[in-house]
Amino acid sequence: MTQAAITEHHTPVEETSTGLNNRKLLMWAFLGSDVMFFGAFIATYLVYRGKSLVGPYPSEVLNIPITTVSTFVLLMSSLAMVLALHYVKEGEKNKGTLWILVVVVLGAIFMGFQFVEFREFAHLGLTPRTNIFGTTFFILTGIHGAHVTIGVIWMAFLAYSSNNGALRSDNALDLEIAGLYWHFVDIVWIVIFTVIYLISANDAPPPGMETITH
Amino acid sequence: MASLWRKLTHHDGNGWWNLPHTPSNEPNPPHEGPIGGAWLGNMWRILTHGGVSHAGPGFYWLVGLFLSIVTLVEVWLFAVEGLGSWYIPLLLFLSLLKFIGVVAFFMHLRFDHRLFTYLFGASMVVGIFIFTLLLLLLEFGNQPPN
Repeated sequence: MTQAAITEHHTPVEETSTGLNNRKLLMWAFLGSDVMFFGAFIATYLVYRGKSLVGPYPSEVLNIPITTVSTFVLLMSSLAMVLALHYVKEGEKNKGTLWILVVVVLGAIFMGFQFVEFREFAHLGLTPRTNIFGTTFFILTGIHGAHVTIGVIWMAFLAYSSNNGALRSDNALDLEIAGLYWHFVDIVWIVIFTVIYLISANDAPPPGMETITH
Repeated sequence: MASLWRKLTHHDGNGWWNLPHTPSNEPNPPHEGPIGGAWLGNMWRILTHGGVSHAGPGFYWLVGLFLSIVTLVEVWLFAVEGLGSWYIPLLLFLSLLKFIGVVAFFMHLRFDHRLFTYLFGASMVVGIFIFTLLLLLLEFGNQPPN
């Protein structure tokens, strides 16, 4: 590392062909591929929207108030994530660790909401094998839930590292990369909440085909 | 009008949304506010971070508040009847606002090297292309021949 490669903040600049950190670039490339991955599943959901031959139908099972709360929880976890990164970069270990733990807790709460929702749907007779709505819904939200689960585990490790002093301001890039992943999970949910919940929740069953009486 | 257009769209140093060149490890460039490099950026710096040159917790809380309010508006739209054909476009617009808020500020694309923006933007374009193609193909591809 040459002296010229040290910035005024004493931050080492990567000596790569792009001048950018390769790990961070790799994460952005991965997120780009994940955009296409989720895009395909969301498109599939929309293609088969309203084509279920048997119930339960979206308007009979989707619970907007509950999902609004879980959406708020995930949005706030993104806020906690960016605050955690700020404090870790500032070298404030305790605040950094605390906010990473908040991310873990909020992520776990979101997973809890999803688990309860899935169980409720199963209780109402909707499983991935019931109809085309069930198949596309469970695959899309299930894959998103798997992403959240990976993120929570990742954040738990980082909280442990931060508490031990292994995650510091000079290697905060580790947290920043994890944060990119976490925020991406959040923006995917922003789309899912709009497309699947708010738009599809109005999809009533065909006349005479109601399966659930409230 | 031409001046306003230039400020909105140009990235040549005078635009409100001017993207700075920064080293990868310094996503918050000096002399650059979260909204822009001109007076708007300075105003935000003073409001949110005590005059320090990059976005701080106050600004992130503001973005969080904005995201929460937009979510509440979305749910309110869901409850309102009579929006008709405006309902879906309005929801998609609000969803786009939240998307941009998270990507630009929480993911730091607003502050970061523009190569990341190009990489993610290109993926979005390809993703939306695949998305549209799939919708069209499955919507019209199974039609019986006349």
